[in-house]
Amino acid sequence: MTRTRTPGISRRSTLALMGAGAMSVAAPWVARAQAKTIKIGMPTILSGRVAQLGTSSRNAVMLEVEKVNAAGGLAGRQIEMVIRDSKGQPQEAARVARELVNTDGCELLLDGEASSGSFAVHEVARDLGVLCIHTCSEASSLTADPKQHIPNAFRCVRQGIHDSIVGGSYAASIAKAKGLKKWATCSPDYAYGRDTTGEFTLYLKRFAPDVEIISESWPKLFQPDYTEVVTKILQAKPQALYSCLWGGDLTSYIDQANIYAMFSQMEVFAVNMADYTALTVVKNLPKGIHSGNRYIKTFPTTPENAAWGDAYRAKYNEYPTNWSWQNATAVMFLAEAAKKSNSADGKKIAEALKGLTIKCPFGADGTVTMRGDDHTLVGYAIGWGTTIPQEPYVPEVKAGDWKTIFELEAEWKKSKGYT
Amino acid sequence: MTELEAGRAQALVPVRSGAVLQRYRDVLIALIAFAVLASLPLFTGSKALLDFVIRCSAYGLFATSLNLLVGYTGLTSFGHGMFFGLGAYSFGLIMQKLGLPIPAAFVATLAITAVFAAIIGAICVRLKEIYFAFVTLAFQMLIHSTILSWASFTGGDQGLRGGIPRPVFLGIDLSNHVHLYVTSCALLIVGLLAMRQIAQSPFGYTLRMIRDNAARASFLGIDVWRAKLTVFVLAALFASMGGMVMALFVSGAYPEFAYWTISGEGIFINMLGGVSTFLGPMVGTVLLLLLNDTVTRFTEYHGIVLGVVILFFALGLRKGLLDFVAEWYAHRRETGEER
Repeated sequence: MTRTRTPGISRRSTLALMGAGAMSVAAPWVARAQAKTIKIGMPTILSGRVAQLGTSSRNAVMLEVEKVNAAGGLAGRQIEMVIRDSKGQPQEAARVARELVNTDGCELLLDGEASSGSFAVHEVARDLGVLCIHTCSEASSLTADPKQHIPNAFRCVRQGIHDSIVGGSYAASIAKAKGLKKWATCSPDYAYGRDTTGEFTLYLKRFAPDVEIISESWPKLFQPDYTEVVTKILQAKPQALYSCLWGGDLTSYIDQANIYAMFSQMEVFAVNMADYTALTVVKNLPKGIHSGNRYIKTFPTTPENAAWGDAYRAKYNEYPTNWSWQNATAVMFLAEAAKKSNSADGKKIAEALKGLTIKCPFGADGTVTMRGDDHTLVGYAIGWGTTIPQEPYVPEVKAGDWKTIFELEAEWKKSKGYT
Repeated sequence: MTELEAGRAQALVPVRSGAVLQRYRDVLIALIAFAVLASLPLFTGSKALLDFVIRCSAYGLFATSLNLLVGYTGLTSFGHGMFFGLGAYSFGLIMQKLGLPIPAAFVATLAITAVFAAIIGAICVRLKEIYFAFVTLAFQMLIHSTILSWASFTGGDQGLRGGIPRPVFLGIDLSNHVHLYVTSCALLIVGLLAMRQIAQSPFGYTLRMIRDNAARASFLGIDVWRAKLTVFVLAALFASMGGMVMALFVSGAYPEFAYWTISGEGIFINMLGGVSTFLGPMVGTVLLLLLNDTVTRFTEYHGIVLGVVILFFALGLRKGLLDFVAEWYAHRRETGEER
């Protein structure tokens, strides 16, 4: 009988195991940074489908950091940004965030992750206790849910619930004026799409009780062909359509719906239309699409906002995105909080950030506030307007009323059991 | 005892004692490896290194379990990631909703995975090659879509939020970084050792026979379907263990864990490390994670770098790294003996 195995393999396995061990030890772990500069880590999405948004976040951060550094830095310490790709994968986002703090010596984090990635980074912030400002995740529960609350995390982002309240009241006023009673919805089939559409129709019906939803379509995220969705909506013959499709999905949808002349047959409310990434990509942008503001140079109609949009465009040869203004605002908050506390220490900045109001080009009244009780951004410019096919794309935006937003948001929080 | 039987018995004794010896050696190597890994925190304060080993444990368990299917049984599963995701979600949900002690949640997760794997496997292992690959992929997408759609239970695309609670058990506190690290190492070593025992057992050799010639195995009286199903379930259990380690590391579970890209990474790791040696996937894991971590530090165009590396392995070496090393070593020894 022959031996089925040679004894050599085991030796090889041992060698391999030792090799594996040696390699992991020899990996290039960089020593901690010197205390002179302050490193701020930022995991964001720089590759894949939403890379454009991640890149625009990085651009905006760098634009603002240059200004802060020119003015002396954070409490006298120059900022050095360490920005790294997470590929939009939550486990990578968590790894990168930990690496930024543990290996690269970053003392603060800007979290440029969307959706699930932001929750993964949030857990890292909870674990490591490092100051973290979320700059891209619009999911309301990230700050509204008290289970998520930690003293060292803040959110400097617009919020789904705010958009729904403003969108619902704006749409209701148009519905009443034009007698739009039959509505259809068409939104991407995932949590954001379902939640946002649900909240929008909730507030639409609240402000205009005789509205009726006669058709709902839920195309898949990143679906290439919308023919069946478009024909389904046309057959239902609604008077108005709501959609929270975004980015490439929204632009392909509009291009395909244009073939069926959909936009002349009903009023369309697309909350994510007024963003340059969508506005400049659609082949024939129809006139009169109602949209919420994402980032638009013309709203708020202040010279500061226009100047900021132009400066960004001059530097990067493209318009900023919704993620851009949010990231820029986060850096402005850091600078102000460091000034107020006269320190670059995360804990002291966190204390100073609570309830802090700063001057900001993106504020509804020229200022924005980091609300103290739930660590989230309020007072930013939020409104709805209609499109035209050329620049400035959305010439007039009707501003939302923050008093109404606060009232209804408090009610919503109660209904969710958050307060 | 006839003369023939006596001769056979004599021949069997050294083989058996050789196998026992081999087992002792494996256990010894495992103990040494564990001792080395577990003592790392004494020598280095680098949290990044510990993070790296924790992630290696998660992916290593996953990739090695995939190799039980790909390398040992010839079942190329494109959907093995579903068990990684299933492990992470089951464990996370049990801890969040039921608050069981961690060992109980661990066992319950393995039980859930076993049930799923038995059902899915019973359907899949009847199929051959590309059909098997695609039906496993289809099941993976089914589980992924379920996670996305069942938002009230799984949190949908935002994943399990709010962190996974880690009550202290037997003096082990998994919210402590070092404790988590040592536990991950222990799970990795125990998992690898168990898989090694499976691969070296008579059952393991049955799997190799099925891989090489299923018809022959069948003629010899082996229930091929049953053997394939058994290894499918066993592999799923270890993948699920990997998922649990990952869930503990990120303190959550996200739909990406059950997406096909995870299965793709598993296949890639196996290609990188090699499928003909037991530790090939482990070497592949270390290589891939090292490559990923270093390349993403410097560029967001990591896809290009990884692509070039794949090409190098596929076209240049035409096999995984450890396969290449093993063959080179065997070749050198042969030529040495001839001389």
